[in-house]
Amino acid sequence: MASTLRYEYTVETEDLAKTYVMGPVSVKALDGISVKIRRGEYLSIMGPSGSGKTTFFNMVGGLDRPTRGKVYIDEVDIAKLDAYELAWLRARKIGYIFQTFNLIPVLTAMENVSLPMIFAGVGREERLKRARELLERVGLGNRLDHKPSELSGGQQQRVAIARALANNPVIVLADEPTGNLDLHTGLDIINLLKTLNTEKGVTIITATHDLKMIDVSDRIFWIRDGKLERIETRAQVSARAEE
Amino acid sequence: MSREKQEITFPLSEAISFAVESIRRRFSRALITVISIVLGIAFLSALLTITRIVSALSGGLSQTSQGPPLYQIWMAAIALLVCGVGIINSMLMSVTERYKEIGTLKTLGAEDIHILELFLIEGTLMGLIGGIIGAFGGWLVAFVMYYVQSSSPQLVLQASLSSLDIVGISIVLSVILSLVSSIVPAYMASKLNPVEALRYEV
Repeated sequence: MASTLRYEYTVETEDLAKTYVMGPVSVKALDGISVKIRRGEYLSIMGPSGSGKTTFFNMVGGLDRPTRGKVYIDEVDIAKLDAYELAWLRARKIGYIFQTFNLIPVLTAMENVSLPMIFAGVGREERLKRARELLERVGLGNRLDHKPSELSGGQQQRVAIARALANNPVIVLADEPTGNLDLHTGLDIINLLKTLNTEKGVTIITATHDLKMIDVSDRIFWIRDGKLERIETRAQVSARAEE
Repeated sequence: MSREKQEITFPLSEAISFAVESIRRRFSRALITVISIVLGIAFLSALLTITRIVSALSGGLSQTSQGPPLYQIWMAAIALLVCGVGIINSMLMSVTERYKEIGTLKTLGAEDIHILELFLIEGTLMGLIGGIIGAFGGWLVAFVMYYVQSSSPQLVLQASLSSLDIVGISIVLSVILSLVSSIVPAYMASKLNPVEALRYEV
C-alpha cells in the first residue's frame, strides 16, 4: 500500500505558471513558482488580492491545469493523470475548504460529510459512523441533521472542515477559510484547523490574507504578482514584526 | 497511482435520493415543470382515448382502422414539443443555479458521469411523475366527458377500460421525452470546469 509510505514532500511544484488569455490580453496569474511542502506542515500562502493565491491553490488541488511547470502530489505528477485518476485524487488525497463554505444546500450536515465517502466507495454504516465522529470532533454533535441554511457561518465552515477530512486526505486546501467569518469565529476556525493538523498529521495549505493565520502556520509563502516573494517561518515573521 | 487504485463510486440509490432531495428542495420550480408535463401528456392521453371511444360508439369494433385526425396528431405533437422545450428550459435553469454545487461535487471526487447521472435522473423523475398524473388525468377526462353525455354509457366504459394501454404508452412517452430533454442540460453540467463553476456567483 503506497498510502502507508511516508513521502517527505506532500506537494512539490516546479516552475509553476498559469496564463489566462482574455481576448487580446494575457494575464500571468502565476509566474514560475517552485516550492516544496512537507508532510504535516501548516502552510499559509499570503498576498494581496489578485496575487495568484487562488490560482496556485487550484493548480495544487488538481482543479485547473497549469500553462507551464509541474505539480507533484506524493511524488505523482498530476498532469499525467486522466480524468478518472484526477477524480480519485480529489476524492481521497485532497480535502477542500472554501471561503463560501460550499455545502450542498439540499443535504444535512451528516449527508454533506458523507458525500465524499460515497464517491470513495465507503459502505453506508462506516460512512455514517465516520461522519458522526467527524462532526462531533468539530463540535457539531448536536447539529447532525441540520441543513446548511439552519447553521451559522462558523458552523457551516465546521461542517466543511469535517467534510474535507472525510476520506483522511493527505492535504487540506483551504481557500480564504475565514474570509466570510467575523474575527472571533475566524479565530475558532483557525484554531480548529491547527488542532486537526497536529492531531491527524494532515498537511494544511491555506490561501489567505488573514494575518491571524500567521500564528499557527509553520511557514508562510508570500506571493506577489504571481511570483514567490519570500518564504518565512513563523519565527521570522514575528521577529520582523517586532522590529 | 494504479497500485492503489480503488473505485470511485456513486451508487444509483444514492444518486436517486440526491435527485429526489434536489427536486423537493426546489419544489416550486419542479412543480411548474411537472405541471407542463402533466398538461402535455394529459392532452395526448385524452386525445387517443377519445378516438377509441368515438370509434367504439360509431359501432365499429375496428378500433385500429382509423386513428385520430391529422390535425389532432399535430396538436398533440406540438403539445409534446412545448412540453419538451419546457423541460429543457427548466433543467438549464436548474444547472445554472447549481454551478457552485456542481463545482463542489467535482472537488469532492465526482466524475463527469456522476453529474450527468444526477441531472438525467432528476429530469426522468419529473417526467415519470408528470407522466403518471397526466396520462391518468387525460384518460379520466376523456372517459367522464363521454360517459355523462353518451346515450350508451356502458359502451363508453368498456371502450375506456380497453384503452388503458394508452395510459401506459403515454407514461412511457413522457419518461422518454423528459430523458431526451434532459440530455443537453445534463451534459453541459457534467462538462463544467470545477474552477469556473466555483467562481460563478448566482
